[in-house]
Amino acid sequence: MRTPWMTKLAVYAILVAGALLFVFPFIYMILTSFFTATFSLPRPEEVFSVTPNFINYQVVWGKNHFAQYFGNSMLLTSVAMLGALLVSSLTAYGFARFSFPGKEGVFRLFLLTMMIPSVINIIPQFIIIKNMGLVNTYAGLWLVYIATGVVGNMFFLRGFFESIPRELEESVLIDGGGNWRIYWNIYLPLSLPAMGTLAIFVFQATWEEYFLALTIIKSEALRTLPIAILMFNDKYATNYGQIFAASIIALLPVILIYIAFQKKFVQSGFNEGAVKG
Amino acid sequence: MTQATLPRKSRFRTGLTQWLNALPFVAVGLVGVLVFVVYPMIQNVKVSFQEFNILPGQNSPWVGWDNYRSVFDDPNDKFMIALKNTFLNVAVTVPINWFLAVFFAVVINTRFVKMKVAFRTLYYLPIVTSWIVVALLFKYLFADGSGGFVNYVLLNVGILSEPIAWKSHYWSAMIMIWLFHIWKTVGWGIVIYLAALQGIPRDLYEAADMDGASATGKFFRVTLPMLRPITVFVLINLVNGAFGFFPQVYFITAGGPMNQTQVIPSLIYMEAFKHFHFGEAAAMGVMMGLLVFAVTYYQMTKIGKQRLF
Amino acid sequence: MKKSLSVVLAFALTFVLAACGGGNNEGAPSGSASPSKASESSAKPAEKVTIEYWHTYSDSEEKVLLEKIKPKFETEHPNIELKLTRMPYEGLKDQVIAAVAGDAAPDLMRMDIIWVPELASKGALKKLSDLPGFDDVKSAVFDSPMQTNIFKGEYYGVPLNTNTKVAIYNADTLKEAGLDQAPATMDELVQAARNLKSQGKQGIGVSSIGAWGVLPYFWSLGGKVTNDDYTQVDGYLNSPASIEALETIVSWNNEGLVIPALLGGEPGSWDGLKSGQYMMIDDGPWFFSILLGDAENTFNPLDKTVRAQLPAGPGGSISVVGGENLVSFANSKHPEEAWTFMKWMLGKEPQQIMVEAGMVPTNREAAQAIDPGQNPYIGTFIEQLNTALPRTPIPQWGEMETIFNLSLEKAIRGDQTAADALNEAVKQINAILAK
Repeated sequence: MRTPWMTKLAVYAILVAGALLFVFPFIYMILTSFFTATFSLPRPEEVFSVTPNFINYQVVWGKNHFAQYFGNSMLLTSVAMLGALLVSSLTAYGFARFSFPGKEGVFRLFLLTMMIPSVINIIPQFIIIKNMGLVNTYAGLWLVYIATGVVGNMFFLRGFFESIPRELEESVLIDGGGNWRIYWNIYLPLSLPAMGTLAIFVFQATWEEYFLALTIIKSEALRTLPIAILMFNDKYATNYGQIFAASIIALLPVILIYIAFQKKFVQSGFNEGAVKG
Repeated sequence: MTQATLPRKSRFRTGLTQWLNALPFVAVGLVGVLVFVVYPMIQNVKVSFQEFNILPGQNSPWVGWDNYRSVFDDPNDKFMIALKNTFLNVAVTVPINWFLAVFFAVVINTRFVKMKVAFRTLYYLPIVTSWIVVALLFKYLFADGSGGFVNYVLLNVGILSEPIAWKSHYWSAMIMIWLFHIWKTVGWGIVIYLAALQGIPRDLYEAADMDGASATGKFFRVTLPMLRPITVFVLINLVNGAFGFFPQVYFITAGGPMNQTQVIPSLIYMEAFKHFHFGEAAAMGVMMGLLVFAVTYYQMTKIGKQRLF
Repeated sequence: MKKSLSVVLAFALTFVLAACGGGNNEGAPSGSASPSKASESSAKPAEKVTIEYWHTYSDSEEKVLLEKIKPKFETEHPNIELKLTRMPYEGLKDQVIAAVAGDAAPDLMRMDIIWVPELASKGALKKLSDLPGFDDVKSAVFDSPMQTNIFKGEYYGVPLNTNTKVAIYNADTLKEAGLDQAPATMDELVQAARNLKSQGKQGIGVSSIGAWGVLPYFWSLGGKVTNDDYTQVDGYLNSPASIEALETIVSWNNEGLVIPALLGGEPGSWDGLKSGQYMMIDDGPWFFSILLGDAENTFNPLDKTVRAQLPAGPGGSISVVGGENLVSFANSKHPEEAWTFMKWMLGKEPQQIMVEAGMVPTNREAAQAIDPGQNPYIGTFIEQLNTALPRTPIPQWGEMETIFNLSLEKAIRGDQTAADALNEAVKQINAILAK
């Protein structure tokens, strides 16, 4: 194409400036993580002239059960992610493909629940988990994580599922397959981009959740990574170098998951069905 | 509806059959939501009419509308201030967030731009970072005095003559909260719009080319109309996100200075868990929920019918 | 449409009711052991009991707890195992509330002194005053920290460690201000601060805007919060002396004598003190142990600072009592063992051990036995404790503090006059006390 180089330059300039805006705070954070004894804030000129080192990373990895909690979080988050994807996609499939009385009513009721601030739901949720005998177990956490995520995830997936043309189901029906086969052989494979996107959302949200995790998990050995990070935030003093080092380590798995799934990112999801409106 | 003409009994039977067909798929999700989302919410409504006792087994006396009344009787008007801020947050961040999302998505999607995926990844980075970490980072960047990075830059560029104590004044604290929110969430809109842009069929642009449309002409005649449906989805989510400010306020200013930057979710949290005012907190939650529902109801009904993707 | 919605709601309700119903039945017998407990106790034949202890000790403090306190207690009480759980400080109160509401609270907890009357008034804490041996514990500890455990005349906790704030000066800046030693009176302090003003340095170390930050100055300048039995604010918090005290603090700040940390500005109090920009800050003893315990730290707080009693004003040299109490929860499964630990922990020896972690003991004998050679900074704090007051130890303090803090902030930021701010605070606090 014959795009004038001026335009090209301008577009790239905007893009790079934008990227810098989003990335720079991370760079500043990484630079700060090289400071030791940072109960006080280093000044910008000190930050830019710091020598990279991994002292804080080593200290952090060995402190507050960091490595152990990292493993706990991996387990907890992976299972929560798979469970949420399965349950949410099944529910969305049910809502997208079947019609039953009161469907839109239920859907709207669900959306209403997204609007009400849920910060104090923790007490009834905890009491239910307690009554199920699941305090101090990951099963208890999984239940709450998966169940509370259903509404938003279904909201996200439903429209996607509805754009899948019904004609595609015929091949399965001809083979004598039923609704489950349609879900498994048609809907899931065709919505991989949406599922990939959702996987990232769910992974990230679960990975950083600490409030519920701290409430339901009572023994120190089972705690998760965000709790370890919070422990660096002491009552009397915050060690920024260590907190940032810990945060960067905690960020890595999410970035890996993101890179792994992002090829599938919504991109192709907006097929023609999307724009019929 | 054809169903309306059927006799009552068979209509019931049809409904039942339909439910039974769908139930295997939706049962787990429905039960989960009912138990862990709807039931706590009903509890909330109940607590909003009670003087809640945290001890198990102790009864919580009913107090009628007292909690609702005391929310409004508050001499410091905490609820009204939080309400005002909540709406202000929506009014300020939603347009900016939306505009930046469309803008960057369109720029990244420009045909000659290489490494689209790399740019998308970079812009998406704040989204995958935890709120607490980003909050700490922002507090650190916006630190008071000339040692805070933002102050340092503004001083050196000459925009400021002396450092700002960002969190100590209402407007500067609000600006900090807004910047924090936009920076953290704009990547989501960019990704959604990028996907939508890539879904626009090429032939529409080709047709416009044949009509001799300019680049801007194509943008307004093809791109924008084609983005309409997804825009509804994005706006609902942006509005909902802006109503739901919690970490943005709680971890940055904790409502200060003098409770002026408080928003409803953070106020609810602090009333409940710092002052044991569970009744008032629940009442605020109920009112907030009804309000947001009313505001977004119209779009909601559209969403129910619309194909989003 | 409407009809179907109601069907759905009815359906939903059935589920919910089923869920609650199940909940109530199971929740009723309070003594029933949870599955995890059952498996724990089944491992050992009968007697060995595990008591859970929540705390928020820092790294260096936790080390002493794990390596010295726990083994010593368990050797002396072989039938009890002490399970220590370190909680993050952020969101701690939420955890306590959720645990109490879900009948899953630990047996013991170390908590900030100002929480005790509030949680006691909610019925969450176990009453200790009628337990065997309580009077012995009470007579062995300092009175003022003990008072922070009272609710309606009964005790709901024991003071685990106490502290207060003293004045801490940067030794060099003090000299620059023309002083050889710490100022003894508020007037001397103000004079020194004025001497420093031209150099862009601040001399008066009011460290934060809340009650904890301002009260020492407010009291020392002659202000009062309540009457002596904590029942009245009207005529005390808004008395002419109180108004004058607050006005004085406001005028210091307007004159630029107070450190910016007062309003949350930078540098933070210790950063400012280290760099010499702040001549004075006030603080408790904890930062000394953090700094001394941090290998990377290059600032020796013992050589480079001067610690002293707060400068005296018309009201004397009055600081504020802080510290932590040890409490047991009302639905603890092992109240006897918990009490055994509480009694033991307040004894002379364990209290002395915790001095290594920088704790100021509440046990009189342990406090007297402190070797000033080994703990050079603690003496000043113990001396200041003689004239330190607790923040109003009543259940409503949490709410009262919010109101009080707001009035302080309004006055100091200049939104209201000191008189207006305090009068309004009195009005609002009266409404709470009347409830």
